[in-house]
Amino acid sequence: MGRALIVLASLGGALILLVQILHTTGTIAAGFADWRPVLYAYLVWTVAFAVGQVMARGQRGLRALFLLPAVLFTVAVVIFPTLFGFYIASLDWNLSSFAGPHFNGLGNLIGLFNDSYYWNALGNMLFYTTAVLGEYAIAFGLALLLNAEIRGRKFFRVVFLLPLMLSPVAVSWMIGKSIMEYRFGPAATLARTLGWDNPAFFASPWIARFSIEAMDAWVSIPFIMIMLLAGLQAMPKEVLEAAKVDGAGGWQSFRHVTFPIMLPVSVTVLLIRMIFKLKLADIVINVTAGGPGGATDTVSSFIYRVYRDRSNVGYGTGLAMFYLLMIIVLLTVLLRLSRRWTQKVA
Amino acid sequence: MNQHDQYQGTGPNRRSVLKGAAGAAALGTTGALGALTERALAQDNLRARILQIPGVGKGAPTDADWQKVGELCLEPTKANVKEGEFKGVELSFMGLNNQNLHNLLFRGFLKPWEAYTGAKISWIDLAQADYNPRLQQAIATGTVDFDILEMGAPFEGDVCGKGLASEMPDWVKKQIDIDDYVDYLKPPVGTWNGKTYRVTIDGDCHNFNYRTDYFSDPALAKAWKDAGNQGEWGVPKTWQQVQAVTKFLKGKKIKGQNAFGYLDAPKPWGGFGFYFLGSRASAYAKHPDDKAWLFDVDTMKPRINNPGWVRAIQDVIDALPSEPADQLNADPNTTGFQQFLAGIGSMIPWWGDIGQVAKASDTSVVGDIVGFDILPGSDDVYNAKTGNWDKLASGPNHAPNCAYLGWGVYVMARVAGDERKHKAAWSAAAHLGGKDLSLWTVMYPSGFQVHRTSHSSIDEWVAAGYDRKYITSYLNSQFSSYNHPNRAVEPRIPGIFQYYSIAEDELTKIFAGKASAQAGADNIAAAWEKLTDQIGREKQIALYKASLG
Repeated sequence: MGRALIVLASLGGALILLVQILHTTGTIAAGFADWRPVLYAYLVWTVAFAVGQVMARGQRGLRALFLLPAVLFTVAVVIFPTLFGFYIASLDWNLSSFAGPHFNGLGNLIGLFNDSYYWNALGNMLFYTTAVLGEYAIAFGLALLLNAEIRGRKFFRVVFLLPLMLSPVAVSWMIGKSIMEYRFGPAATLARTLGWDNPAFFASPWIARFSIEAMDAWVSIPFIMIMLLAGLQAMPKEVLEAAKVDGAGGWQSFRHVTFPIMLPVSVTVLLIRMIFKLKLADIVINVTAGGPGGATDTVSSFIYRVYRDRSNVGYGTGLAMFYLLMIIVLLTVLLRLSRRWTQKVA
Repeated sequence: MNQHDQYQGTGPNRRSVLKGAAGAAALGTTGALGALTERALAQDNLRARILQIPGVGKGAPTDADWQKVGELCLEPTKANVKEGEFKGVELSFMGLNNQNLHNLLFRGFLKPWEAYTGAKISWIDLAQADYNPRLQQAIATGTVDFDILEMGAPFEGDVCGKGLASEMPDWVKKQIDIDDYVDYLKPPVGTWNGKTYRVTIDGDCHNFNYRTDYFSDPALAKAWKDAGNQGEWGVPKTWQQVQAVTKFLKGKKIKGQNAFGYLDAPKPWGGFGFYFLGSRASAYAKHPDDKAWLFDVDTMKPRINNPGWVRAIQDVIDALPSEPADQLNADPNTTGFQQFLAGIGSMIPWWGDIGQVAKASDTSVVGDIVGFDILPGSDDVYNAKTGNWDKLASGPNHAPNCAYLGWGVYVMARVAGDERKHKAAWSAAAHLGGKDLSLWTVMYPSGFQVHRTSHSSIDEWVAAGYDRKYITSYLNSQFSSYNHPNRAVEPRIPGIFQYYSIAEDELTKIFAGKASAQAGADNIAAAWEKLTDQIGREKQIALYKASLG
């Protein structure tokens, strides 16, 4: 009975889906005005599936109900959109096109390999991602400082966290377009006082890259710092005291005790920060629009232009999906390497 | 300019209306004529009253001012709509919020309209750069969620061509006095397949804005002569002169500050930045014997890499070293509002906003030292048909860049099923595009420029507080551009901003020194060809031809 219910619900759901696909592709006239009924069919199917599980498998089915909502929700909001994204990536779909979307096979992928803007943005991402190590070093220094018995420690902890709470868009305007503004910005005025005649922070490639990186680092260093600080506070004090008794100096304690113990936290925070960094877009879009000459462009800001300014939905999605795959591969490799390294140091 | 002067002699203005009215009264004519006279005087009086809100030079107008103007201009609405007639009707309006104008003004103007008619309006505010993608997405996915739309004519192919707009009823044409529009904004602009869709609220072309103090400065004049330059020190009339002046001003001082010449806008601006290269290129690439200048008419083959356009690109490359050090990171908004109006640089092309804001906004420091002209010309013009550079017998070639063709208000077809909603939407659009209200919007910061022949009465501008010399220069630059026989008109083809956006990306590489002018232009041409194929070449050709008239 339970199995029959699941089969019936599955057939009904599949039929509604098929009818809507055929209707949308123009094969048949019958169908719904939009895709909402398909969503309702999915919800009905999930209920029927859950009930069917209990009826068919008894206690085991009941236990499955604890997991089922999470699985079905993940399917609906993660797995399906990702697969649908791959489908869109296979289309030649420009919103202004008279012919509408049509299957393009690997056309977008081939186009991507010949797209100098994409590879230029990837090159820039290499710089931005490597700069995470610099952010980490500064954040570690600050975390050590805030972990020490200094005056006003609580005050500094709150103050150092403030940039993290700011929206990158606000940072773009407050810092990139105001403080670093060439004519009246305080940073430009200070630079002139220090002898830099033309303090244009966004007019030459490397200065622009470093300026964007500085802004992004300012927002994100507090995040790295707070994670490391949590790790430092959880560190057993006895180990450090033992090192002190053995005559280890400050640097030796850090190098041989603190740093190795903190390695798992460090690896985690570095990987999370890299994921965020690989999505860098907002500051670039607002401050330089990727310029000068693509020097500050990121993959995300380029995709943003392809999708938003040029309505090139198929190609834009193709770029995003390829980038997603690259990030997954990169992070998998990094995770494996870091695991090996951590084990070696430990 | 001559055409404008000629027009002014024949067109109605406040003085001629008063004169005519006085003459008619003296003759003791019929009561009907007397009523007409009273109406004319009342309208005249109304126009004079609204122009004093708040008064030019008396600070930037506020929401209270916009509401007051909207209230005073309600009479045409009252003639077509009964009080409370639209009670319970809800409308959605999508438009821009650039520089805190556009939709913000509309809200104020429409508040008294809402109070009178009983309708309620909800607002979708968009930044300029977000406008195109939001609109394209709504069109492509069939999710039009607005009843009234503020839109530029370049998008008419996307919207009207796909049956998404509502045809303008005759009573609206009468209410807004549609025949008052300047010629270049009359059909085919605003129409599609012979049907009228647009209430025009703006006229767009790039004019040339310059600093009068620079070009009357004796020290600069002397330095110009001393440097052995040809001709007298004065406002450049050709791009060749613009280049020479820009290079000459490098390192010079004026009033103790660094002097700069022309300001380019190399940073992308969601596609809109391409217009600024267009303004540099039109005199080189728009030949008087050829309506087309962006593509070949029969094939849509791009002309962006022909010698005319490449020369304009090269001019930017040559001028940038003489411009402020951070110019590479300047978009048009920066050049107009953060540089020129703040006193930096001496020449920019822009839409008429600069002339309005320079005089009527607190944000400007150059209100008394700005002059206007049509865009500079060129000593020679590239003939795409023969492949030669022609020197015209009439002198330098001028081709004002009629960029964007102005904003309009459109009613969407989705209101068609509900008669009350349909009438309400059109009534709101007609109120915003009313003849008297439009006079106020073109005189004060609004984002909209002159677009009616009735906007050319200099006496009205002077009565509002404008300096006669200033406003004569401003209006001459606008109307002479609109009426220029060799004006370069925007193609109303689908996806036009995609072409512009692609070009912006490549241009930023060229200006940063990563590609030569010719190589970069060839890249743009190749990408445009690809885009034309993707959108549909045959249909694009047909629409391009139609847009050229």
